[in-house]
Amino acid sequence: MNDRQVLIRDLLLLLAFAGWALALPHYGSEFVVSMALTCLMYVALSSSWGLFCGSTRYLSLATSAFFGIGAYTSAIALEKMAWLESIALGAGIAAVVAVVMGAAVLHLRGTYFAVLTFGMTELIRHAVTYFEKKVTGTVGRVLTVVPDRDTIYLTVLGLAVLAVFVSIVLRRSRFGLALMGIGADEQRAQTLGVNTRLIKVAGFAMTAAFAGAVGAAMAVRWTYIDPHTVFNPFIGFQTVLIALIGGAMTLWGPLIAAIVFSVLAETLRLQAPQVYMMSLGLLLILSVLYLPGGLASLRWATFSGWWQGSRGWLRSLGSEERKNG
Amino acid sequence: MAAESGDGQAQPGQARLEIKKGFPRSAFGSSPSRGRHQRPGKAVSAVSLVQTLMTLFSWFELIASGLITGGIYALVALGLNLQYGLMRILNIAHGEFLMLGAYLTWMAHAVWGISPLLMVPVSFLVLMALGVLIHKLCFRRLTATSPNLDIFEARGLMVAFGLMFLVQNFASFMWGGDLRGYDYLTEPVKIGEAQFAGNKLLVFGLALLFSGALIALLRFTLLGKGVRALMQSPTGAQLVGIDTQRLHPLMFGIGLGLSGMAGCLLSMAYTITPSMGEPYTVTALIVITLGGFGSMSGALAGGLLLGVIEALGMHFTNPSLKALLSYSVFIAVLLLRPRGLFAK
Amino acid sequence: MVQPSKRQLLKGAAAAVGAAAFAPSLFAQASPVRIGYAIARTGPWTGGAQVSQEPNYLLWAEQQNAAGGLDVKGNRRPIELISSDDRSDIETCVRSYEKLMGSDKVDLILPPWGSNANFAVAPLANRMGYPVLAPTALSRKLVELKLPNFFLLLQQPDRMVGALVDMLVANGVKTVAVIYVDDLFGLENFSALKVALRSTGIQVVEEKSYPGDIKDLSPVLRSIKDKNPEAFIGLSYPPDTILASKQSKEIGFNPRFYYASVGTAFQLYRNVMTPAGAEGVLGMGSWNSKTSPAAKAYFDAHTKKFGGKEPDRWASGHCWAGLEILQAAVAKVGLERKAIRDYIAGNTHRTIIGDIKFTGSENTATPGTVGQWQNGEFEVVWPQKVATAKLSLVKPAWK
Repeated sequence: MNDRQVLIRDLLLLLAFAGWALALPHYGSEFVVSMALTCLMYVALSSSWGLFCGSTRYLSLATSAFFGIGAYTSAIALEKMAWLESIALGAGIAAVVAVVMGAAVLHLRGTYFAVLTFGMTELIRHAVTYFEKKVTGTVGRVLTVVPDRDTIYLTVLGLAVLAVFVSIVLRRSRFGLALMGIGADEQRAQTLGVNTRLIKVAGFAMTAAFAGAVGAAMAVRWTYIDPHTVFNPFIGFQTVLIALIGGAMTLWGPLIAAIVFSVLAETLRLQAPQVYMMSLGLLLILSVLYLPGGLASLRWATFSGWWQGSRGWLRSLGSEERKNG
Repeated sequence: MAAESGDGQAQPGQARLEIKKGFPRSAFGSSPSRGRHQRPGKAVSAVSLVQTLMTLFSWFELIASGLITGGIYALVALGLNLQYGLMRILNIAHGEFLMLGAYLTWMAHAVWGISPLLMVPVSFLVLMALGVLIHKLCFRRLTATSPNLDIFEARGLMVAFGLMFLVQNFASFMWGGDLRGYDYLTEPVKIGEAQFAGNKLLVFGLALLFSGALIALLRFTLLGKGVRALMQSPTGAQLVGIDTQRLHPLMFGIGLGLSGMAGCLLSMAYTITPSMGEPYTVTALIVITLGGFGSMSGALAGGLLLGVIEALGMHFTNPSLKALLSYSVFIAVLLLRPRGLFAK
Repeated sequence: MVQPSKRQLLKGAAAAVGAAAFAPSLFAQASPVRIGYAIARTGPWTGGAQVSQEPNYLLWAEQQNAAGGLDVKGNRRPIELISSDDRSDIETCVRSYEKLMGSDKVDLILPPWGSNANFAVAPLANRMGYPVLAPTALSRKLVELKLPNFFLLLQQPDRMVGALVDMLVANGVKTVAVIYVDDLFGLENFSALKVALRSTGIQVVEEKSYPGDIKDLSPVLRSIKDKNPEAFIGLSYPPDTILASKQSKEIGFNPRFYYASVGTAFQLYRNVMTPAGAEGVLGMGSWNSKTSPAAKAYFDAHTKKFGGKEPDRWASGHCWAGLEILQAAVAKVGLERKAIRDYIAGNTHRTIIGDIKFTGSENTATPGTVGQWQNGEFEVVWPQKVATAKLSLVKPAWK
């Protein structure tokens, strides 16, 4: 398949997905819709995360920070602004914060960067808590102006589709190629004339904008938000987990993984919630060890590779025993 | 413990000081509580002297309690440092193994009646064995399959991530979400005028002891020299014949063992929950950032320093600001002096 | 697994209720009354939820079924509890209730634990027309939401704190030190406290807030000890209540009045501090088995069913009272939810903790109260009209 055909295929898949998701509220029960809502939320979050962090290999743990910023923005803004404007504002403020954060830390690599983004998330959380307490004299905010369920659903659906669409387009653009170049070998990209700093900050800001928008939309579901709930690191962790297991560098990986995990979460929710989390952890370990490209990179060759590998391992065990025995 | 004076409403600190320093009771009136409201003029200097002395002792208590907390931080950070400095594995699941050590000790104490003191070496050994196993199962393959160091670090981080989820929820599954705890050596111990819980002093002493032991091990033994050589130059060390295959799992195991031991110590004084480990991981990260990635004595100094900073910070401002303070320090150091405060 | 038999007890209880619901001989005719809820069985909210709330739901359903079922306007119909673990996570909680009310279409719902979860569930339940009696929700903001289907059973901050201040004033206290937890509960109680203290002459010598996951309060307590207040007020949750108490003992901080809001009413507090150690400690509590014969009956039944686990002396009682109200409502008007709602809103209810009447969403009939540990029991010591014992003015040294 040449490039054009791949593009058409991707766009058609996206259209089909969007159509199916649009139809869901009409025949699904309230419960199914809310399940789909969470699924779409993670599609948006992990696709946008994967676009930047997957390509450039900068593991950002700051998703929760931007999500929370978006949530707080909509909590405050909804009283004065319309729905879509609040979402846009949430995205915008998150992006601005990302630019500031990015300018300061994007020169560090690897573990430093990951750890720093995590530290900054917690810093933002505690700063917001403190500010709210001292200046506005409150903890948490009550959302009084709440749009109806369908509006929320359509918004999050729109964000998810937009995230995937942006992924599709960007991968073919110079921006996307630059991102992947940075991921492959940053120094070489620089020598080839890529303004790595600008590109990195822009990519980071884009991830943040999506996270902020999603946070702004989801805040209304909980009526009352406080720093602890919306800056919960688990949101960031789950995003990263889903993107990594799905295949952060791929287009459809995060989406597939988001769907798989939403279903898994629901089925395991009633029986054994910890088993769900434990399996998340285990799956991540297994995928990093044996499937670094993620679910989306599963091919028949991978399976035969595993089969050969395990046979080799068994054989080596036997030889070890012969040596010791 | 608390001294009683006539009407049974004595503030222990005041009464004790009064008797010990030999101030005439008349300086405060026959009951200390009344003394607070009427201060006879002639006793003003006596009062301010007492207050100054009390403040001095309060300072001592404050800094000492910061050091005690810092001792634990150092112990946890040392383990993390060993793993990162040597193997470039940033084990963010470190705190979860601390939590396992705490639960094991609690179980041994509550179910089988084993003394927590005995569990200190036991938890070390159990967690060390677990560490060796985990290294062999998870991290060894990474060393073989990762194309370069950056990717290895990233993958190691992700595996640790997965471990964090796995271990924390396993504990939650096994022991449930209830708070657990037990009492051990909670009687207060007096040092001069300052009062500390017996178990806190024990924890501090043991933390310092084991930190010192580890540093001594690394500095003076052949094994330690091998480890330090590996830290300095992996290829060079291998060339000289140091066996990385055996050393890596062993050191990883020791790192986890230290963490488990810290958990055992902590369980004597604090409540135990499945989520107790995460804050310690974060603190250990901050400590090794302060002390410099890879520096053992830096981790020790950094841990104690952080404990004191937190105690002072809480005193002058608000405990709510403690986290803000810690993270600000953390980010400032990472940005401005990434090699750590104590790096050469 | 080293779970004490609690898990098994819970499973057994749920199974018993389920079995009772299907026991053919008694209930062949009547279709069950389906009551749904989500509650924390894992995660940070578990401690509170499993002491103050879920055991009461199970006990109540069992008692009703043992009597032949819930009285629905004269007909006895067995109760079928449909429950799930909300994992102390708001999204899971909301989802569970959407399922219960939207897809499963249960007859009635019971609330989850804690203010945060109730904030999320209250508007949803209100929208779907299900009345909710919440025993562990505490916030003026919830009252201000003005949701007609939502009823808060606990006394709100201004009342509880007001009672404390009244008690302190009546005993001539002049100086207090306050610490409060960094969330809505702590903040609202603290603001209410400041307001209540304004008109007295009491001086606040120290006020510090702390984050909910704090591990070490001793620096704060030491500096408070230096300032020598007559009363210590901790607006805290169970983990920090216990932490503060233990560390106060460590450093020898023993003021005349030692108050820690939440957690003191729990059996856990007495277990951890020992009855001698807990002696004299004050906290938020509004009932015990001496409050009324029905309260004693409930207390004994609870302790018997759950193997010695006692209900707490605050929210548990209110939870049971809420169930009593629900029971009376269904007996009178049946399962039509609007009628139930009107019944709850329009009447004064006699319950094990006294009269309960709602003004809007708030229970305005139960006064704010203060409890104190005396001889191994948490007595209500203020105000006089609901007190089960006299306030003891001697707080002995920590043991």
